[in-house]
Parts: sequence; structure tokens; C-alpha cells
Amino acid sequence: MKNHTVTIRFTLNGEPTTVEAAADVSVLHLLREHLGLKGTKEGCGMGECGACTIVVDGRAVNACLMFAPQLDGREVLTVEGLRAEDGLHPLQQAFVDHHGVQCGFCTPGALMSAYALLQENPRAGREEIVTAISGNLCRCTGYRNMVAAIEAARDRRTDK
Amino acid sequence: MSTEYIRPQGLDEALGLLQERQDVTILAGGTDLMVDRRSEKIRPRCLLDVSRLPELRRIRTRDGVLEIGAAVTISELLASGTIARMAPVLAGCARRFGSRQIRNVATIGGNVAHCAPCGDTIAPLLVHEAQAVVAAPGGTRTVDIGEMAGGPYQCILAPGELIRCFRLKPCPAGVDLADFQKIGRRRELAISRISMAAMVRLDDDGGVDFMRFAVGACTPTPHRFREVEDFLLGRRPDEGLLWQAGRLAADTMIAITGTRPSAAYKQPAVQGLFLRMMSPLLQPGRKSHA
Repeated sequence: MKNHTVTIRFTLNGEPTTVEAAADVSVLHLLREHLGLKGTKEGCGMGECGACTIVVDGRAVNACLMFAPQLDGREVLTVEGLRAEDGLHPLQQAFVDHHGVQCGFCTPGALMSAYALLQENPRAGREEIVTAISGNLCRCTGYRNMVAAIEAARDRRTDK
Repeated sequence: MSTEYIRPQGLDEALGLLQERQDVTILAGGTDLMVDRRSEKIRPRCLLDVSRLPELRRIRTRDGVLEIGAAVTISELLASGTIARMAPVLAGCARRFGSRQIRNVATIGGNVAHCAPCGDTIAPLLVHEAQAVVAAPGGTRTVDIGEMAGGPYQCILAPGELIRCFRLKPCPAGVDLADFQKIGRRRELAISRISMAAMVRLDDDGGVDFMRFAVGACTPTPHRFREVEDFLLGRRPDEGLLWQAGRLAADTMIAITGTRPSAAYKQPAVQGLFLRMMSPLLQPGRKSHA
């Protein structure tokens, strides 16, 4: 019996990263258990809740639905990489200001979906925002404060 | 036994590996495969990642045929002007597919090959009379989309075969309606309970002179409903006629599935969804596209 592991090389939150892992573990497992990044959450583990959303090559994806080697050669951003020079990323600050967080479990995923959207379209309208986070289930906030927070972060960016 | 991972650099290498060894599981986006792996429905010995093969990533037109590579993602379908123009029903399906996170990774080839009854791209491909171009040992063969599933989750392709692309007949000029509709338990991220794809054209007198109509999710495999097409061809749609056609669609579904407990809900739901989709035909001059 051979015990295969795969060498996976990718950029993680700006840092070149090399990791050995079994080929059939999920990206979520890789991030949390191999790399110790616990910001990305496991909710359903089957692509329905969006709690594990990360950004790969600029696009929001479910970390629970990707095999770890699929990251090879990619650029990966997790919530740990979301920051500004002076502290919180504007999206995170807006979530604080607009009370877009209650229990907080869906927050990292929602932030990453919002981040990918605003990278793709810095002037995204309300409808686009709602669509972009509709793959992120939240059982606390009712989404309104999250949408308001993303709109505020967008306006702060576009004002500059 | 742990799993191997191979990402071939070109199509020939991929086909060579597929034919050499019988223990290979094809990985495209992985969004269905990972769910099956997690529930231990499958334990792949070797994952063959075809998602980056340039030969599988193209959208192009050749001799009036629209060709979509098997590893094109749902988001890429949605972003493509060619798809919007030549296959608006498929574009409409892409818009309502899964969630943004899933659309960014899931591929059209994976959706078809997985053969889920609720595979959203299949009914749109049926109305485009699509064929899968399949690389097989010793050459290439084509498989009609309607023949791809032997039953739920049963792809008829042999081990060693790989879908390269799909060939679609483009949406004919001047169609009055090209639409995809589905019913799920919520709008995003919902498994389709019923999906419908249709293209309809009316002649100068308002009669239906072209129609293709397919239904997914509520039958074990998606089907073209030719009974409904034949019923409407040559007739001028009014509300009464569309209700009758919707009833025929529901009866056709039940003829395939038999009467199940869910029929009490699905029969009127099929009829209602059909009427909702066709209602733009009642307002002549208003072209409706997905």
C-alpha cells in the first residue's frame, strides 16, 4: 500500500506556500488542519451554506467543495488575509459599524463573498450585492445589516 | 489506501492515462465529486484533474455550430457574449445555477456527466439538441444529450471515455421566447424540484411554427417533451390553450414517473410553471429571453 501525498504550491494571503497533503482532503481541511487557519468555518460541508467561502484567483468559492490539490498554482485569500495596513479591512470595519455580525459564524464567508464582488465590480449595486451573498446563509442578521455594511464599504472605496 | 492526484498538461496525456488505467476518477470542478467523497459514496483511487486542459476550456462557433468545452465553468457560460447570443436558454440556466461560489467552479461537463435528475444544464442542452463529443479509445464518438444518462446518476460513458465538448444548434433567429425556469425550495442554492427549458417562435399569424421544450428534475432523467411541442405547433397560443398544454406537460411527467406521493404537488406545479414561462407569448411583439 502506498501512502500518497501531493505537494501543493500556491500563494496564500500573499505568501508563497508549499504544503504536503492527501489528495482527497478538502481545501477547507487543508486550511484549518494543515495550515492552522481557523477563520474559514465549516457549516454544512456540502456547499449549501457558504461559511467556508474563500477567494481563489479573484473568485469566491466554497473551500469545502474543492480538493486540496486544486489550489496548486492559484492565488488564495482567506479571511486572515483580509486586512488594511492600519487594522481592519474597510469591509470588516463596515460590518462592525453596521452591526452586520451577530453570532459571527457566517461572517468570514460573507466577507469573502463581498470582497470578491467588490474586486470584480467596485460599483456593485444593491441587487448585485444581494446576489453575491445569497450563497452565504445567515440565521441571525436577516441580511439587511450585511447588505448595508457592504454598501458602506463600497461607498468608502469609490469616494477615494 | 490514499488517493493519487494527476493533472495532465494536455488532452493526449489525459486520454492516455484514462485508457492505461481503470482506476481513474475524472475531476473537473469537483463540486459534486467532493460531496460524494465526503459521504464516502466514492473513494477515488486516482483523481485526474481535467479542469485546466486548454482543449476543454473553449467556447467557439464552427460551421454554425456552438461548441462549449466540457471544463467551461457555469460562471464562464454566464459571462460569455457568444452564449448569451446563441444559447440564451443556457445563459438563463447559468444565472440561476447553484450559488456564485458553485458557479465559479462547477463545469458544464461535470454537470452533464454526473447525471443528477436535477442537473440544471441538461434541459437547456436538450432544447439545443446538443451532442457530447466524447474522446473514446481509438477515436471520438458523439452522444446525444438525451442518451447520456441511463438513469439517475448513471452516466453511460465507459471508463476511459472523456467528454471533450458539447455541440449545440444555436437558438434560431427571431424566436419569441427562449427561457429557463425552475422551482426549488428557495431561490439560490436550491436543488431544482422542477426545471423547464423552452424556445418558441410564432409566425406572422401568431401560430407556433417552432418549438422545443424540455423538463428536468421531476423525472429520473431530463426529457424533451415532444407531446407538448406537437400539441402547440401550428396553433395560436391563448391562455386556455397554454393551460391545456401545461396539463399535457404534467400528464407527460406523470406518465414517466408514475403517480408518486409528490404528484399532488408536482402536477399543478408543472402546469403553473409552464404557464408562467409561456405567458410572454400572450403579449405579441414582446420578445422574451432568459
